[in-house]
Amino acid sequence: MHSWSWGGLPSPDGTTTQTHDILEDNLNLSSYNHHQLEEEDASTAVQMEIQQHHLLDTTTTNSHFIRPELSYEQSNWDAADHQSFNMLLSSSSPEAAYPPTPDLLNLFHLPPKCAFLPNSPISFKSASASSVVCDPLFHLNLTPQPPVFRELLQSLPHGYTLPADEKELYHDGDNGILEFTRDISMAAHAKGRDKAGKTTKHFATERERRVHLNDKFQALRTMVPSPTKNDRASIVGDAIDYIKELLRTVRELKLVVEKKRCGQDRSKRLKTEETASAADAGDGGCKLLGLGDPDQCYNTCLRSSWLQRKSKNSEVDVRLIDDEVTIKLVQRKKINCLLFVSRLLDELQLDLHHVAGGNIGDYYSFLFNTKIYEGSSVYASAIANKLINVVDKQDAAAAPPTSSTCL
Amino acid sequence: MGRRKLEDDDDNNNSKEFKSKNLQAERRRRQKLSDRLLTLRSLVPIITNMNKATIIDDAITYIQELQKTSQVLSEQLLEMEGSSEESVMPMKLEIDVAQHDMKKCGIKEEVKVSNIDGNKFLIKIIVEKKRGCFTQLIEAMNYLGFELSETNVTTFSGAMLFSSCVHGKYGDTLMVEHIEELLSEMMRSMKTSSQSAIELGNTN
Repeated sequence: MHSWSWGGLPSPDGTTTQTHDILEDNLNLSSYNHHQLEEEDASTAVQMEIQQHHLLDTTTTNSHFIRPELSYEQSNWDAADHQSFNMLLSSSSPEAAYPPTPDLLNLFHLPPKCAFLPNSPISFKSASASSVVCDPLFHLNLTPQPPVFRELLQSLPHGYTLPADEKELYHDGDNGILEFTRDISMAAHAKGRDKAGKTTKHFATERERRVHLNDKFQALRTMVPSPTKNDRASIVGDAIDYIKELLRTVRELKLVVEKKRCGQDRSKRLKTEETASAADAGDGGCKLLGLGDPDQCYNTCLRSSWLQRKSKNSEVDVRLIDDEVTIKLVQRKKINCLLFVSRLLDELQLDLHHVAGGNIGDYYSFLFNTKIYEGSSVYASAIANKLINVVDKQDAAAAPPTSSTCL
Repeated sequence: MGRRKLEDDDDNNNSKEFKSKNLQAERRRRQKLSDRLLTLRSLVPIITNMNKATIIDDAITYIQELQKTSQVLSEQLLEMEGSSEESVMPMKLEIDVAQHDMKKCGIKEEVKVSNIDGNKFLIKIIVEKKRGCFTQLIEAMNYLGFELSETNVTTFSGAMLFSSCVHGKYGDTLMVEHIEELLSEMMRSMKTSSQSAIELGNTN
C-alpha cells in the first residue's frame, strides 16, 4: 500500500509545519463566524486540521480533541460548561473545523438534562439523579468525539456501579443520546448482596466493560458502508477495508483538486501571457508551461483508486487508473438496467471503450472499460455511489420479475 | 466451528474443567481477532492507549475524520467545477477524428442480423463511434422489444462494433430483413439527430 501519514503531507504552497501561534489562531476562531470560515480557503482548513493532528501527535494526551490546551483544564469545568460545549458541538455545521474558545460557552443556557462533555470527570451530585451521555457517533460529521465510556468508567467513584439489568442499562433516546440511571442502592442490591464487596464489584465492572466494548464494536459497524457479518473479527475486517478505501479516495480527491487547480492556473497564465505580448503569444505561453509549474509533483503522480459498493441485489466495483475506469456490475434480479447504466455513464462523461456482459443464470453481469473525457473531474467514489443508487432505484421501481422491463 | 473434537494436545493440561471441544478453533478465532485489531491499529495514526477499547474508539474517530476530509475535498471540487474555464472535449472534434480513422482503415458501417433459433437473433452492428451512441443502441433494442442476453461492444479506429445475442420478449417473431431495415433506419436517424445536436452545440 501507499505510504501516507498524517502530518507528513507536503503542503502545496510550501509552508512549514505550524507553530504554536497558528494553533492559537485556530482556537480564537469562533464557530459562530460561519461566514468567516466559508470565505477561507477550504484547503487551508484541511491543512490546518492536518497540522493540528501533527501537533496532537507530539503532545501526549488522552483526548482526541483538536484543542490540547483546553483539555488539560478538565477538572475546572462544571456541569454547565460540559453541557454547553457539547451542545455547541452538536449544533456546529460541518464547515466549522475549529472548536470554540471557552468564553463562548457561558453564552449558552441549556436545560440541565443535556449531553455534557464526556471527556471530563463527571461529578455526580446526587445518587439517584440520571445523567445523559452523548452517543459518540450521533453527528458523524462533527469534530471527533473522544472515547466516551472509558473515561466515564475511569471517573466513576469506586463504590458506584450501574444497575444490574444489562438490557435496560441504557436505551437510545430519539436523538442518539444514551441514558443510564444511577442508583447506588439499587445497584448494590443487584450486585448479589455480597457482604465482601470486592469480588462482586469486579464482576459488575467487568460486565459493564464488556457491554461497553460490545457497543463500541456496534458503533464501528454502523460506520462502514456495507457491513457483512456481525461478529467482532469481521467488523474489524470491514473497518480495515473501509479505512483503506477512504485513504484511497482522499488521496485521489487531493490529486484531482491539484490537477484542476494546475489547469486553472495554467489557463490563467496563458491568458496573461497572451495579453502581455501579442507577438510571442504562442511560444511564450508554451515555454512558461514547462518552467513555471510549482505543482509538478502532483501532476506526475498516477491517480489510482478502487472501491466496491454492495447493496441488497447488486454489486459495483470501480477501479480507476489515471483516466481509465473499469466498472464491474453484478445484479441479482432479472432487471435489465443496461440502458440506465449507459445513460449514467454518459452523464458522468465516461467514454465507453468496451462492454461485455449479459445474463448468467439469475444474474446480470457486466464489465465496462471506459475512459474519462479530458477536462472532466469525476472521481471513483462518485462513480460508484451514483451507480449503486441508479441500480437500486431500478430495483425498487421494477415490477415483479415476470412482467416486462422497467422503462 | 464447534464441531471439532478435542485433539491429543500436549500443551493442554489434563484438568477437565476448562477443556472445551473446540479449543483449537477458539484459539484460532481469538488469534484472528487480535491480528485484525493489530492491523486496525497500524492503520490509524492517532493512537492513545493500547487496549481493545481505545483501538476501536480511535478507529471510529479516524474514520469520521477521513469522511469529513473527503467531503470537504469533494465540495471543493464542485466549487472548482462551477468556476472552471476548461470544458470537456467538444463533440465535433471527436466526430471528425472518428470519421477520418474509419475511412483510413476502410471500415464500413454495417447492420447484420442472423436468426439463431425461433425468437433468438444475433445482431452485429458497426457504427461510427460517437458520444452516447451506445445508449442510443440500447434504446433501439428496447424499442424493438429485444432482451439482450449476451452483449459485446468494442471500439477501434473510430468505429464501434456492437454484437449481441438477443431474443424477442414479445410474442411476434420478426423477420430478419425487417429487423435489419428497422435498425438501419434507426442508425440513420441517430446520425442526423446527433449532427443537429453538434450544430446546436457549436452555435452555443
